[in-house]
Amino acid sequence: MNQVVVHPERCVGCMQCMLACATAHSRNGTLFGATLERPQPKPRIHVGAGRFNEGFPNRCRHCQPAPCQSACLAGAINRIASTGTVMINLDRCINCASCAMACPYGVIRFHEDPFGPPNRPIAVKCDNCSNRVVKGLIPACVEVCKAGALTWEAVDDAMRRKNREVARAMTGEADCPNVPAGVALLKFIKRAELELNER
Amino acid sequence: MLDQKSSLSVTKDCDLLYAKARRDGIETVWERHEAQQPQCGFCDMGLSCRICVMGPCRVDPFGEGPQTGVCGADADIIVARNLCRMIAAGAASHSDHGRDLVEVLAGVANGSAIGYKIRDEAKLKRLATEYGIAVDGKETLALAGELAQEMMEDYGMRRKAIQLVDRAPQKRQEVWKKFNLIPRGIDRETSEMMHRTHMGVDNNWVTLLLQGMRNALSDGWGGSMIATEVSDILFGVPTPRSTMVNAGVLKADQVNIVVHGHNPVVSEMVSLACQSQDLLDLAKAKGAVGINLVGVCCTGNELLMRRGIAMAGNHLMTELILSTGAVDMMIVDYQCIMPSLGKVAGCYHTKMISTSDKAQFPQMEHVEFHPDNAEKKAFDVVRTAVENFTNRKGAPFIPVEPQPAVGGFSVETIISALGGTADPLIDAIKTGKIRGAVGIVGCNNPKIKHDYGHVTLTKRLIENDILVIDTGCVSVANAKAGFKLPEAAEMAGPGLQAICKALGIPPVLHMGSCVDNVRILVLVSALANALGVDICNLPVAGSAPEWYSEKAVTIGVYFVASGVTTHLGPMPPITGSMNVVKLLTEGLKDVVGATFAVEPDPEKAAIFLRQTIEGKRQALGLDSRSVG
Repeated sequence: MNQVVVHPERCVGCMQCMLACATAHSRNGTLFGATLERPQPKPRIHVGAGRFNEGFPNRCRHCQPAPCQSACLAGAINRIASTGTVMINLDRCINCASCAMACPYGVIRFHEDPFGPPNRPIAVKCDNCSNRVVKGLIPACVEVCKAGALTWEAVDDAMRRKNREVARAMTGEADCPNVPAGVALLKFIKRAELELNER
Repeated sequence: MLDQKSSLSVTKDCDLLYAKARRDGIETVWERHEAQQPQCGFCDMGLSCRICVMGPCRVDPFGEGPQTGVCGADADIIVARNLCRMIAAGAASHSDHGRDLVEVLAGVANGSAIGYKIRDEAKLKRLATEYGIAVDGKETLALAGELAQEMMEDYGMRRKAIQLVDRAPQKRQEVWKKFNLIPRGIDRETSEMMHRTHMGVDNNWVTLLLQGMRNALSDGWGGSMIATEVSDILFGVPTPRSTMVNAGVLKADQVNIVVHGHNPVVSEMVSLACQSQDLLDLAKAKGAVGINLVGVCCTGNELLMRRGIAMAGNHLMTELILSTGAVDMMIVDYQCIMPSLGKVAGCYHTKMISTSDKAQFPQMEHVEFHPDNAEKKAFDVVRTAVENFTNRKGAPFIPVEPQPAVGGFSVETIISALGGTADPLIDAIKTGKIRGAVGIVGCNNPKIKHDYGHVTLTKRLIENDILVIDTGCVSVANAKAGFKLPEAAEMAGPGLQAICKALGIPPVLHMGSCVDNVRILVLVSALANALGVDICNLPVAGSAPEWYSEKAVTIGVYFVASGVTTHLGPMPPITGSMNVVKLLTEGLKDVVGATFAVEPDPEKAAIFLRQTIEGKRQALGLDSRSVG
């Protein structure tokens, strides 16, 4: 079963996944159209800044068991058995925020949604782009990520690949770095800049 | 609000005013920088391209995603094009500033620039002679008109070479000829740079970067140099002057007017208006003791250099200065003026005035200054500022006492302080009392702790007998740190200390605004000529520890292209192409005899710069120290 796998070391912090997510969850379906829509569609993936201002694409892990689901007394959160996706029922959500308090990752937000009940904020989070996937598309965030920080694949496949990369790095040549030189250079400079602030 | 673990600055007034600004609910550059994190890695690496509308495109630095834009440009081409467009923008900015001065010069000649005049006839004559104009028997104004015409030709396309490259040592000009780097026209090189970076024109990243150097040289030895020289003709050649710096230069009991921006065309007229007896009387009537004109940013440096007018702060201080609540008016022209300032001023009684027909800002009143009306407009706005004195909301918060400093070191005054020739300086370098000189220039950047880079680097260099000359925002940082007093010789190493004491000069010489970086070019040319070597052989270097702007990129490139190895604190957006990185940090040595180096930590940068200087000394056959 495919799912969105996050490779944080690849995130360059461009936030394109956020724009694509909001667009994919709009009625209009285009970026410009989505920005004009009311209520405003909002991203369900959130790029945060790490300690060295490196990007991190934070999204729902669709946990099993899901703390949000356990915390939802209104019974608005359920799991689609075939895909494992944890979904929020827009009409049953009572906006109590219990799910958000239970969520270990801080990826549930509260606002009006283009597809939600009118004039009422509800809990909104990643739905694994279920509407796109049934049409044979991949999730919007994965589609736009040009740095390979988000992939759509079976977790076991991703882990096997990573295992192979790690194993090869152990026996790799010294001049064959794991990370491209330019990326390593920029990271090094950014760290150095931030360390100055501690002085 | 920022999670402020440690202070944002090495300066006390910055930290105290930042706290005040936050109490007043003001959002500053630091909050906005925090809100931008993480910044886009494609852009940070120079790998995003917005040049055409087949795109926008970006190249995956990890090698799996797209490796070329829609047009087929690879990482090298995209990075080079982006960097070259930064150079073009920087050259355009400084050179357009120069153009405005040439227009005033022409206006003085034909009588339309009311209130402006030729303040230094001798310099006018020297410049006219350089431009091949027969000087003898000509009226001053006629000469000014002819010089303005000749300088306009430098901006155009009729020349094979702009005039002032002749000031460079012969050996340097030969290097430029060999690599076809001699700028033909100031605007021409910028236009050609924009042309070559259009989709489907120059797609060789090396030749793109060579044109980038020619474009930067068209600024350094063209537009910027004209800006400085014409400013000297119109407003006087700077001479050493005592002044005061930091937020403490604002006065609770006076009308405080802050000029911000770059061009002395506006600030000089404001300075004259502030001395008007009518307005001083009006200030008294409003309960103020006087009118206190101070500067921030480079237009402040221009006034400091020529009038000794005080400096309240540098780039990152511009918002905080308003949070004193003591500023009755801020008058801006162009460049480096944060569009947030109008909003900040809205929290206080401060009136914000924009003056340039090419620079307007939100929440500012626009009073357009032109050479023919500047005298009157300056009078009008200063009167408005005086009238605003009574609108202050509560007592101002002026957190520190001002720091005295000396500024105003033009090449002319440095040479005259040395007794008419550069020989004493050259002797001091030869004997090793002074190891060499570093020009520390450039901006502030919220990526680097405010003024930490400038002050730390300067301290380490003078401790090691390296003379520091500075311009722009660095000069304010160093003045605030107390380096700009003759007594600061105590902070220098024994050799530099002895020379400073003998000449009565500080170990850090303030050479002016950011266009005045060209004074450094003129100075190093004089030294190279005196020694009969090329600039790249001299024990000198450049540094921009906290740079942020496109103008700074251009300055860095014209320094390097002129043979001055230059250190940068923040990394330019080039890491997407290790080919470009290697060319700029290594390969250029074989082209122009100088390279760039990037190092955010000023302690390590000081070691690099000392090694550079000692290496040059060794190559010249002078004594050299090991640095490690």
